[in-house]
Amino acid sequence: MTDTTGHEEQSLSRREMIAATAAALAAPLLPATTATAPSPVALSGKFLTAPELALLDELTELIIPTDDHSPGARAAGVAAYIDGRLAESLEPEWQAAWRSGLQAVDGLSRELNGQPFLLATPDQRLAVLTRMAAGERAPNTPPEHFFTELKRWTVQGYYTSKIGIRLDQEYKGNVYQQGEYAGYDAK
Amino acid sequence: MTLVRVPPPLQQDVDLSQTYDAVIVGSGAAGGMAAHVLTSRGLRVLMLEAGKKLDINQELRSMQWPYDHPRRGDAPPGSHALSFNEYTIRQPPYAKGSAFKHVYSYVGGWGGSDYVKNILVDEKDHPYTGSNYAWVRARCLGGKTNIWGRLALRLSDYDYKAKSHDGYGEDWPISYADIAPYYDKVDLYLGISGVKENLPHLPDSQFQRPTKLNFGEVKLRHSLAEMGRVLTPYRAGVTTDGVKHNKYRSKCYGRGACDRRPGGCDIHAAFDSPTGLIYPAMDTGHLTIRPNSIAYEVLIDRNTGRARGVAFLDNLTRTPYEAKARVVILAASTLESARLLLLSRSPQHPNGLGNTSGHVGHNFCEHVMGPGVTGLVKEMVGKPRTLDDGRPGGFYVPRFRNLTDRQPGFIRGYGFEGNSGHSMFPAHTNTPGFGAEFKKTVRDHASAFISMGGFGEVLPRYESFVDLDPEVKDSWGIPVLRFHYQFSDNERKMAEDMNTTAREMFEAAGIEVVGADRKTLTEGWSIHELGTARMGSDPKTSVLNQFQQSHDVRNLFVVDGSSHVSASCQNPTWTIMALAWRSCEYLADEFRKGGGNL
Repeated sequence: MTDTTGHEEQSLSRREMIAATAAALAAPLLPATTATAPSPVALSGKFLTAPELALLDELTELIIPTDDHSPGARAAGVAAYIDGRLAESLEPEWQAAWRSGLQAVDGLSRELNGQPFLLATPDQRLAVLTRMAAGERAPNTPPEHFFTELKRWTVQGYYTSKIGIRLDQEYKGNVYQQGEYAGYDAK
Repeated sequence: MTLVRVPPPLQQDVDLSQTYDAVIVGSGAAGGMAAHVLTSRGLRVLMLEAGKKLDINQELRSMQWPYDHPRRGDAPPGSHALSFNEYTIRQPPYAKGSAFKHVYSYVGGWGGSDYVKNILVDEKDHPYTGSNYAWVRARCLGGKTNIWGRLALRLSDYDYKAKSHDGYGEDWPISYADIAPYYDKVDLYLGISGVKENLPHLPDSQFQRPTKLNFGEVKLRHSLAEMGRVLTPYRAGVTTDGVKHNKYRSKCYGRGACDRRPGGCDIHAAFDSPTGLIYPAMDTGHLTIRPNSIAYEVLIDRNTGRARGVAFLDNLTRTPYEAKARVVILAASTLESARLLLLSRSPQHPNGLGNTSGHVGHNFCEHVMGPGVTGLVKEMVGKPRTLDDGRPGGFYVPRFRNLTDRQPGFIRGYGFEGNSGHSMFPAHTNTPGFGAEFKKTVRDHASAFISMGGFGEVLPRYESFVDLDPEVKDSWGIPVLRFHYQFSDNERKMAEDMNTTAREMFEAAGIEVVGADRKTLTEGWSIHELGTARMGSDPKTSVLNQFQQSHDVRNLFVVDGSSHVSASCQNPTWTIMALAWRSCEYLADEFRKGGGNL
């Protein structure tokens, strides 16, 4: 048991260290206009850096946004959920795919808009995501491949969240019921 | 009625110096039923279970919300569930060389996989070899009944006398009239929900209150009736009105989330062997359970040729022990019981115990599955939510092929299991796009889908068999099974017909087909393996008589699915329990008479 605990602590602190270092390195690259970007997530994740987590948070909210019916992926904490799964993963290739996928989003945004995703206007961001989603049936480019993975995990995270199940889907089960079953008799 | 949440003591003193009246290997549907019948008749019984005696409520956590679990129900990193592709492309043993710490059967990939990690075996410890086969094994008290699909069907004389009907295979040594009273006993003791349909090929049970159909299902039922086919509410091995004689089980409250099979049913309205059979048997004072006991040989008295007990290894310490008994009952599952018979080789039984016929391990059969359709019930788009997930299942479409007709391509038949309406996780998330429109589409369509998949009878063939691998052993040094088994042309033709009729039925009902699964799933996928020690009246071509008693060794019984002569297309659990009840009554009668026939 001692071994397990020790290992756990060590690996956690290593992750935190890497995240902190990456955040520190990334910070000076961000221009002052970052402050005006909507809803930036200031903190670094367990695996993702602060800028990466902010980018993921915005992407998930664009995929499942808040509407007049229910809050969206941001309120449901989808980005933090994905970050948590990445952090505890034992598959470095999968982790690396997310990191490079997020970079590819910024890359595509620079190509289309001349600046990183979070510095682009809402319309420009939409154009980037629309381009990424164009190959959803048969993804080809790296951003297109990343979109299918991003959407799969956003969907998974959102529709297993309290907001997704209870507020958006209005799921009626998993509580004790009174009276008859709903539905029709067989006749 | 107060539900007793505390099971009988999990730790018992096990006295291996005494000779028990009976030792039972296995604690699932068959072993549980044997324990119930024999202890209620006053026999002193020892039950050996290879796995742990889990606190099943702690394992299942039926009402835990996904968001209250750190991985939303997924198993921790390092665990892997085998996929259809792995089963298809690779060869057993599937976990060999895997980088994952734990490898589970495909059931470990069901939603809520974290809840089955202590129930399913780790494929790394439990290899098998030979042909492709998705073998799902649960080693714990109650076995697979803790997470079963709950469809509880009877067989009819279309099954028991199938050879008389179409000339293939063998008839069973019993007819429906012989087993019907025992189906009744199982119904009344455990509770079953459903609707009477008066079908000769799917006899009715002693039903409790049925679950209801939803809009799409009623629509399909009406349309099928015009075609002379039937859609009936899921016949579930679930007590909907309660079973007053059992203090460990509650009636069904229709609360959900019943789609999540790995979540089980923590109020035990759905039948499971521990609360339905084993705990009440323990309360008689006649049942002793020894968990962590891996049986590896049925012991034979060299002088009399009779079974004298079972040799087993302690799962944890690997110490070998012997359990002594006057009668040995195998209920370890179709494949594990066959393995145990084959492992029990001796000078008197060089081909394995009870195997003078050479049929142990042979005539292996099950259900073929895979083909199915998903349809859109457009009237339901945008409609308010209903609790469709508070039902143990949706519906069942009984067999309609080769009853009065004769299909050109195949013999026997298939049924469809189906479901529709709202579930906890919405169905339409694979719709393309993103944004507000995507979100609204998913929401509007969440209750509007109906789907069903076929389960078809696989023919028993002598050439379909398992034997012992001469080299490969499991983690306890016990030789493993080697599979020689694959679907034949009859199953392939039948699966093609399932594809056609499934689509046809939806379209006739005005349900737009939006998805179709055409592929046949890997052998084993139905988890309905049967037939490896079949019953029969001729000892030359069968292993057991009509009371599941070995032709060769009279005090040896095999009361699980291995005794089935053919697979039928109906799910086997209820028949396994009815047969075990009948055989154990015979056994107890003979025991009281002095055991002359044992």
